[in-house]
Parts: sequence; C-alpha cells; structure tokens
Amino acid sequence: MALKEISSNKCFGGLQKVFEHDSVELNCKMKFAVYLPPKAETGKCPALYWLSGLSCTEQNFISKSGYHQAASEHGLVIVVPDTSPRGCNIEGEDESWDFGTGAGFYVDATEDPWKTNYRMYSYITQELPQLINANFPVDPQRMSIFGHSMGGHGALICALKNPGKYKSVSAFAPICNPVLCPWGKKAFSGYLGSDQSKWQAYDATHLVKAYPGSQLDILIDQGKDDQFLSDGQLLPDNFIAACAEKKIPVVFRLQEGYDHSYYFIATFIMDHIRHHAKYLNA
Amino acid sequence: MEEEAGEEPGLERSTAPKDFHFYHMDLYDSEDRLQIFPEGNARMRREVVQAEMTKEPREAIKVRAQRDLEEEVNELAHLYGLEDDHELGDEFVGENTLRMGISEYPPYVMRRREPAREQRDWQYSGETAETEDLSFGGWGSTGQCQDLREAYRYTRGRSSEEYECYVIPEEEDEEEAPDIFCVTCKTPIRACEKVLDEHKEHEMTPLNKALESAKDEIHKNMFKLEKQIIEMENFASHLEEVFITVEENFGRQEQNFESHYNEILETLAQKYEEKIQALGEKKKEKLEALYEQLVSCGENLETCKELMETIEEICHEEKVDFMKDAVIMADRLGQFLKTKTDVELSAQPDFEDQTLDFSDVEQLMDSINTIPAPSAPVINPQVPNSATGSSVRVCWSLYSDDTVESYKLSYWPVTDGSPQEDQAEFTVTVKETYCSVTNLAPNTQYEFWVTAQNRTGTSLASEHAVYMTAPSPPIIKIREIRSCEEAALICWESGNLNPVDSYTVELTQAEVPEGSGVTESIVGIPTCEALVQLQPKQSYMIYVRALNMGGPSARSKPATVHTTGSCFHLNKDTCHPWLTISEDGFTIVRSEKKTPARELLPSNIQFTSCVAVMGNLIPVRGRHYWEVEVDEHLDYTVGVAFEDVPKQEDLGSNCHSWCMRHTFASSRHKYEFLHNKMTPDIRVTVPPRKIGVLLDYENSKLSFFNVDISQHLHTFICQPHQFVHPCFSLGKPGCLKIHNGISMPNHVAFY
Repeated sequence: MALKEISSNKCFGGLQKVFEHDSVELNCKMKFAVYLPPKAETGKCPALYWLSGLSCTEQNFISKSGYHQAASEHGLVIVVPDTSPRGCNIEGEDESWDFGTGAGFYVDATEDPWKTNYRMYSYITQELPQLINANFPVDPQRMSIFGHSMGGHGALICALKNPGKYKSVSAFAPICNPVLCPWGKKAFSGYLGSDQSKWQAYDATHLVKAYPGSQLDILIDQGKDDQFLSDGQLLPDNFIAACAEKKIPVVFRLQEGYDHSYYFIATFIMDHIRHHAKYLNA
Repeated sequence: MEEEAGEEPGLERSTAPKDFHFYHMDLYDSEDRLQIFPEGNARMRREVVQAEMTKEPREAIKVRAQRDLEEEVNELAHLYGLEDDHELGDEFVGENTLRMGISEYPPYVMRRREPAREQRDWQYSGETAETEDLSFGGWGSTGQCQDLREAYRYTRGRSSEEYECYVIPEEEDEEEAPDIFCVTCKTPIRACEKVLDEHKEHEMTPLNKALESAKDEIHKNMFKLEKQIIEMENFASHLEEVFITVEENFGRQEQNFESHYNEILETLAQKYEEKIQALGEKKKEKLEALYEQLVSCGENLETCKELMETIEEICHEEKVDFMKDAVIMADRLGQFLKTKTDVELSAQPDFEDQTLDFSDVEQLMDSINTIPAPSAPVINPQVPNSATGSSVRVCWSLYSDDTVESYKLSYWPVTDGSPQEDQAEFTVTVKETYCSVTNLAPNTQYEFWVTAQNRTGTSLASEHAVYMTAPSPPIIKIREIRSCEEAALICWESGNLNPVDSYTVELTQAEVPEGSGVTESIVGIPTCEALVQLQPKQSYMIYVRALNMGGPSARSKPATVHTTGSCFHLNKDTCHPWLTISEDGFTIVRSEKKTPARELLPSNIQFTSCVAVMGNLIPVRGRHYWEVEVDEHLDYTVGVAFEDVPKQEDLGSNCHSWCMRHTFASSRHKYEFLHNKMTPDIRVTVPPRKIGVLLDYENSKLSFFNVDISQHLHTFICQPHQFVHPCFSLGKPGCLKIHNGISMPNHVAFY
C-alpha cells in the first residue's frame, strides 16, 4: 500500500496533498486528496471524508469549495477520494457521464463486468480509512462523512449503513432516494442488477426506515433553484418524511436561489465543516 | 590606662546597682540594643567613652569589616582553637566586660586577652593615629569626648556604636597563657601550676569550659538587666508624666489664687474709697449747717443790741416823744420777741453709728477655694462616618482652665422651615466631652448644643452643630436581579425617605469559607442600581449600604448571585393580558378560557396584539444562553427584540425582533426563523421539546438549538445596535417554561 505523492501545496498553514496508490478493492490506481491542518503537525486530528458528485475527481472539491480555512481552524483532516475506479478497460465505462467512470455511486457492484472494480462502498468505508489511519496523523475513533449530490447519497448511505462509525453526516443536494430517480435507477440496475429489493440497501430513504436510532445529526443544504431538484433526481422530501417518521434528526435547509454548483457548496461549506467539528471535536 | 578603665566603672558601681555592669551593649546586636535604649543611655555612653579613653582605638573594632583584621582574627582563632572570628570578637568583648564589671575574674581574662591586644596594637598603630586625628582631633575631657561622640554617632549612624565597645584595655605581658581554671581561687592558672601547693586541693576546670559557664552566667544576668532597664525606663517616663502634671496643676492653682486675691484687694480698695468719700461729704454737710446757725445767731444778737440802743435813746426823750416812740417801740419789740430764737444745735458733733458692710468681701474670701463657672464649650463638627442609623457620637471640648463637673447636651431634629419653638428638646447629661446619642431616626439631621456645669454655675451654651444619622439599610430587589457570567445588575430600594449621598455595593464570594472571603466594594453609586463585574461560575453574596455624611448604613439583607449562565426576569409590564406568569416567574401560561376580548389601547410597553411577554436581560455585551421548554404541538414564538419593539406587531414581523416560530397545523410542524417578516426555508424532522437560545453579542449572532439532541437549528446574523431582550409568545393556549442560569452546553460554542 505504497503511497505516491502527486502534489503538495501549503494552504492556510496546512498542506493540501494528492496521493496515488494501488487499490485492492478497486483493482486499479486511485488518487485521493488529503488536507492536513496545522494541528496535524503536533497531534492526531479527526478525519472528515468528502464524497464528490457525478463526473468529479478528487480535484473538484479541493479546488472549488474553499473549505481549507474552516478545516484549518477546526483542525480537521479532509480526505477526498475519487468518484470511481479509473482505467479499468471495462466496456462502456466511459460511454456516459452518469454511469461508469466518475459515477461509481458508492456501491459494491454485484453485476459483471463491474463487480471486480466498482466496489466504491467498500473502498470508502474500509480500504481508504485503513490507508488513511495507517499513513496520516488521524484519530481512527473520530471520523465523519459528507458529500455532494451522488456523494451526498454516498455519505448518507455510509453513515446509515454503519451506525456509530461516523460521528456526523451532512450533504449538499444529495440524491436522497436513488431507487426512485432516473440516475439511481440507471446506476443501480447496472451495478446491482434488476432485483430492486437489492437496491434498497443503498438507498438512504429506505435505510433510514431500518436505522437503529443511534444518535446521528444530519444537516442537508439544498439549493432551491437546483435543476436536478426540479427534475426529480434528488427527492429530499421523501428522505425528510422518512426521518420525521423515524425521529432521525435532520435540519434541511432549502436555500433560496442556489443551484447545484460548487458556488452553492462554497457558500455553505463553513456551516457543514462546523457541523462536523461540533461532533468531531466535542 | 588599665587603671583608668577600671576606675570609672568603679565609680559607676557606687551609683548604680552592681549588676548593671554585666550589661555590655556589644554583646548584643547593635540594632537590638538601639531598641532597648531608644534614647542614648547616658550611663552607658559614659562607660564607653571612658573605655575609649584607654586609647584603644575604636578602629580596632572596624576590625570585623576589614580584611586585614579578619586575617588577624583568624590567626587568633587558630591560636586559641576557636571556630569563627565572630565568636572570637564576642569573646574579647566579653572579656573586656568581665574585667570592668566582675572584679572576681580579672586575672583570667587579662591573661588570655593579652597576645591579641599586642598584635592589634602593632598592626594598627599607624592607621589608628591618623584616623583619630581626622575624626576626633585628639582626646579631650570626658565631656568633650562625649560631644564628639554624639557628632560622630550622628554622622555615622548606628553602625558606629558598634565600635564603641570593642575596647581592650592594655595589659601587662605574660610569658605563658593559662589553660586551666581554678574554681576555688577563681583564677586561671597554667597547667604546670596545677601541682603547686596553692592549688593542690582545689577544683579544676579546663579554661574553655570555665569561660563558657562564665559567659552563660553573664548572658543570663544581662537578660535580667535588660528587663530591669526596660522597667526602669517605663517607670521613669511615668514619673516624668506625673512631674509635668503636678507642675501644671500647681501652676494653675497659683494663677487661680492670684486672681482671687487681686479681686479681693480691688474690692477692698473700692470699699475704702467709697467710705472715705461718704465721710467727707457728711463732714462738709455738718460744718455748713453749723456755720449757717452761727451766722443767724450773730444777726439776732445784732438786732437785740440795736433794739437795746434804740430803747435807751427813747428813755432819754421828752414825754410826748417818748410816748409816741415807746408805742412804736413796744410793738417792734413785741414783734421781735415773738420771733423764736433757735438755739438748738442743727448738727450733732458726734458720729452716727457707721457699720461697714464686708459681706461681699467675705464671699470673695470664701470663693478663693472655689472655682469659676466654666465658659461655653466648643462643639466639634461631625466626624464623617461616625454615625449609625440610630446614633451619633457628638464631641466637644472645653477651655483647659475650666473645671467642669458635667455637660448637658441638648438636641432636636432639624426640620425644614418650620418654627422650632414648639419643638421638643432632648437633653442628656454626661461627664465626658463626648456622648453617643442613641434612639435617633435614621438619615436625619439633628442640631446639638452643649453647656458645661460645675458647682459654681453653668456655662453659656456652645454654638449649635448639625449632626446627621446614617441612613437605613437599603432593600435589594431580589426579584429584579439580572446576571450573566461576567456581571450582575443589582437594584434596590433606598429604604430612606430623604435622599442619601450615595450607595456602596459589597460583594463576597459565597463559597469561600466565612471570614476568609475578600469583600470587594463598589463605592459612590449615585442611583439605586449598579452593574457589578464578576467572575464566571461563582456564587456571590451581595450587600448594599446607603451613605450620607454621617456614615454608612448597616448592610442590607444579602442577595445571592450565581454567575452561571444568564438570569433574567419577565417584565410583567410588557405582559399581554391573556398571559399569566407563574409564582416562580418562569412559566408563561395562556389559558383556554379567553378573557373577554376588550380593546387594548396601543402601548409602548405592553404587548397588545401579539400574546407575548418580554424578559429583562442584563445589558452586557457578552454571550447569553437560555432554554425554553415547549410542547411540541404548541404554537409558540421565542426570540429576542429591542425593548421598544412595536408592541402591536407580531414578533419577527419587523426589524426590531428576531425569533423562531413554531406552528402546528394538520399534523405538520412548521418552523420559521423570522426577522422582518422573512424566514429561511428550513425543515426540522425532530420537533424540539426544549429550545436553546444563544445570544452572542460578540459575534453578532442569535442561534437556536434543539437542546435534547444538541442540534443546531438556525443562526441569525444580526447586529443589534442596542440591547435586546428575550421574548416569548404563545399562539394557542398552553405554556412555556423558561430555564435560566444554566451554563452554556459545549456544542453551542461552535456557533
């Protein structure tokens, strides 16, 4: 599990680095970005994982969201993985932007030809944390997760499928109910097959209904002028209704005038980092 | 020289107790000695000066400070096997003292000291002579020396006194030092002499041991002496006082007598003058009367003679003429004889009985032994801070010549403008020149005047002086205390009808055990309100005193303030009539039965439209946190508003208020975070049962939390240009419970 440093830049007193490694789960070379706050020089810090949306790499978030200052101040290590395996030479992996490369959907594929490489769920919840814990000054007991769009879906399912593993979770415009939206249907049928009952294991709205109820504070920001909201790709209302039913604490903020872009993310990134810091640094 | 040194103490011995000579100042630290003898003791000084006359220069003593001498001393120490130079120095002195004081021991002392002295002389002779010349200009008589010493002492300060005592009288040489002490003969001897017949049967001790015991003895005696000296000095100063008192008293009595005698003599002289004058007048009067009588008597005689002559002439006349004239004559004669001749003495030559009245003189004589009536005492103005709420201490003074048996202090309260004739006057009779007058009304001015009396009479009254009693203690309005972690706002009632000068707030930390707690005071507070800076997370006992020129009042009853979280009270004046506030002041109830809707007049104070009430938060720009317990189906609004928020508008519907509003309709919860009628679109899945409100002036934020699950709900960024106060409103019947004075949860600190 040798890490290869691709880049390293000083930022708000800390270091924004990008590494490459050979992923066992994904059977390919994977890049990930990690931000080490100034505090990491002297002690172990909590790790906050960011999952990006469709078509993104590790670069989008670190270059557009402007999270560094908040992470530096709160002393959080931010880990930003790529959104899918790359260069696996699977037929059709680069055909569309919402499936295959850049669209791993954070599931462990069970269908050929994807199942050998497209194991993003295991990569995010198992391999990557082990790699990070072993190579960086982080406290394994304190980790949280958040993401945007498909990454928001990823963050929600990771948290909901692993009660207690993540101290907190938040999302920007997450795909809340993928089994009912076009993106989700396409991806899940591709990765998981046609049996829709298997899909529910990766659907936040369904997972909430079975969530055992350990304390989880969920913060969701959603732009009101988000094209994908009106297209019915995100379906936050279903998720909120399920949470209200199950008394899972959610604060859902419908932000007037914002769309699905990183401008929207940059506007509220501070609130999300603070949300996680509250639990990670408690 | 040796003789001289010995002689003076000898003389001393005759005038002072023998023990005195055991006391040698230098055996003690010079500082200590100075305390024992605050004023230079003449006797001691003389002894010292005399000792110095031995020409053993005081420089010998500088010794200690000087390196050469240290060496020398070390040498000596080595010689005598002594441990340190200090001990050696002491020893020399001790020896010296012994020699001068205890005649029983001289031989032993002399012999031991001898070599040391020799060396010293040799080493210091040159320097000594020089210094002597410089500082003393030679040695004069004892008196002169003393003067010089005084001067020297003055210039050199205390340290110089140290030198005075290191006086080593010269001594004859001895070939070998004695090393054994014969107890029987009290003589140090050489070891070889031990076997001599003279000491054969005698008890022997090593010289050092003998020395030790002798020194111990001296120390003990000196300690006794020291005590005795202190006693004697005390007694002397007492005597001196008595002396002065006697002198004064007799002087006064003499004056008294003199003035009385003069008075009597004057009176007598006056009486003499009066008497003499009276006698002269009497004499003149009598003589004048007698003279007048004599004159008239002479005139009568003349007339008689003339009549006689006329009658004789008639007798010689002719018959006719005779008859004619005789008739006329007879008439004239008859007329003359009819006028009575007064031969009674108009003035008696003897004295009337003259008694002299000496009664007043006698009275004067009697009064020689009595005293004059005192003159009017002088009443002092009131000493600040000397009064209590019910008493004042009035002081006055008398003229020193007066003898006073008692004083009569009179007073009455000062009333504005009204005539004082019918006012009751109170009097107290005391023997002292002061009186604590009690049972007075607080914060009140009284006019005092005083007369002095003795058996001769009563003085005139002093001037009138106005004294003032201290105020009554204020009453802290416990239910109006507001506090936060850094401060408390205390208000109180004056407790006095008349205005007072100022108030003082005192505070102690309550958890510190009684007595050890430091009391902090804030003084000079002009109003019945004070903002007191405090430390967070402490408990304080707070007291208030009122002050006037008479002094401070007693402490008010204490109020306890805990600086955990912020504490406020609901302002009942703002309360909408449909709301009731519970007994404890923290539960707001809107009851089912609506009171008949009556038109409420628009008000600046009372909420008239929105069914709300406002709290009074302490005006401190820090962080304030409180919690509100709500029913999850209740329609409520919690938040903050400026004190002057329009009371006929809903909370959040203007830019003077910021609040969270919950409405529950058709089984749906709606949460709005309203300011100026606008709210973000926020959905909350778990209805809070307890809402935390954080008002953070420092960061210009107002945040709301679901307390039970530490969930952040919303944060307003607001920059209140003035202080805001908590607001609570109920849209439907139900109740809200406010939790005050709780510390801010940790998670809140992130917002």
